[in-house]
Amino acid sequence: MFRSAWEWYLQRVTGGLLLVLLVAHFWVEHFMSAPLRHGHLTYQVIQARISNPAWQAIDIAFLIIALYHGLNGLRNIILDYGRLEKRGVAVLTMVLVVVGAVWAWWGIRAFSRL
Amino acid sequence: MFVELNITLRVSRHPARNGKAFDEYRVQLEERMSVLDALFRVQREQDSSLGFRCSCRVGMCGTCAVYVNRVPRLACSTLVRSLECDVLTIEPLPHYPIVKDVAVSLQPFFEQWRRAKPAFRPRKPEARDLARIPKDSKYRRLTPTKRDCITCGACFAACSIVGMNDHYLGPAAINKAFLRVLDPRDAAREERVKVLDRSLDGVWRCHTQFNCTAVCPRHIDLTDSIVRIKRALFWPGRLLKP
Amino acid sequence: MKLYLREAVRKYRWQFSGMVAWLIQRVTGLLLLFYLFLHVETISKLSQGPVAFDQAVGTFNSPLFKLLEIALLGTVVLHAFNGVRITLVDLGIGVEKQRHLFWYVAVGIGLLVFLAGAIPMFLFAVLRV
Repeated sequence: MFRSAWEWYLQRVTGGLLLVLLVAHFWVEHFMSAPLRHGHLTYQVIQARISNPAWQAIDIAFLIIALYHGLNGLRNIILDYGRLEKRGVAVLTMVLVVVGAVWAWWGIRAFSRL
Repeated sequence: MFVELNITLRVSRHPARNGKAFDEYRVQLEERMSVLDALFRVQREQDSSLGFRCSCRVGMCGTCAVYVNRVPRLACSTLVRSLECDVLTIEPLPHYPIVKDVAVSLQPFFEQWRRAKPAFRPRKPEARDLARIPKDSKYRRLTPTKRDCITCGACFAACSIVGMNDHYLGPAAINKAFLRVLDPRDAAREERVKVLDRSLDGVWRCHTQFNCTAVCPRHIDLTDSIVRIKRALFWPGRLLKP
Repeated sequence: MKLYLREAVRKYRWQFSGMVAWLIQRVTGLLLLFYLFLHVETISKLSQGPVAFDQAVGTFNSPLFKLLEIALLGTVVLHAFNGVRITLVDLGIGVEKQRHLFWYVAVGIGLLVFLAGAIPMFLFAVLRV
């Protein structure tokens, strides 16, 4: 019913999730296996992990959560200036959804050709 | 016995006189001189054209709110010594159209004030008995300090969202709506909630900067009111529980 | 834009710590969004094969990029800790007297975390100790 309230709530929830996911992501990418600890971030090392669909799912979820949080934040910044009317807000939301979808597709595509 | 000290008052003039936006005056500081006292001293002894507002002079009416060293304050209640500064820059409150010198029109403030529907609308206008509000009810617990608003406009002037958004309700209007929404005797809750919930200019434009709370001369925790409304809009049931 | 910034700084007298926090949150948020763009761009090179990907990653080994990574850590820490502070305020925790204290705690602990990461990064990656 109160859509804005949900956006407010989700911004905090995704923020918290991102904090956890970010720490985990950093650990996975830089500390999980020996070659990574020595800074050898190569295609081979990453492909070995990414071929596992479980990791793909986690990374894709991470990207989508980050995109929601970031683009919703951007939407708030624009709304704050109060220059938009109701229709403008709808257009802005649609534009950001499209940008988010393209961005997510672009990121997910990276996994498809491995 | 007091130490003789002179302070400088830089007062903003609108319209600017002789091309200068500010006029400077030296005033001898007295024991418990307020900013308003200093302005009166200038007006009576040095420059009778100086324009500023005041009414009650005891911090009750909210008329004399001005920008003192870029912080909104009540001129009558701000002791010069408390500012610990011997150059006071007095300007009109921002976000309001200027009438003369440091006197502004509070029209933008009251436009938003009215939008939040501040008037109490009784559920039972025909009732003859007194309404009973339990001592431990949410209304009694949360609202005593929120009723002290004197509509001085300081919070509206301090809020940076008001500065960038012409349509934002502002802290005072939201606080007033909060009082009414929490009032079990009030009948217009749904209407007010609709106004508060607007993403363009309702409570969602607040980003808890606390400017309003920092400057309120009645020490109302305005940000708290706004945050409570946000929580209530997310958990509608909780607000209505007594 | 510049005029607006100058007016804003002159107008609000940046002693209101909550406002500084809000601005920091916005600026770091936008910077991180921009970083996300660059990051997805780099990772998408995975689909172009090992040579292209390894080459792209290789450019990030220079000291300049390592310094940028330290800046990134700082940006993330600022945004995350301030975000936690904001969430606590929204939950009604620490609204009354604690807000400035919270900010010092958020910035203080954030600084410690940042240094815990930045100093090793600086020593190993930039100075090649």
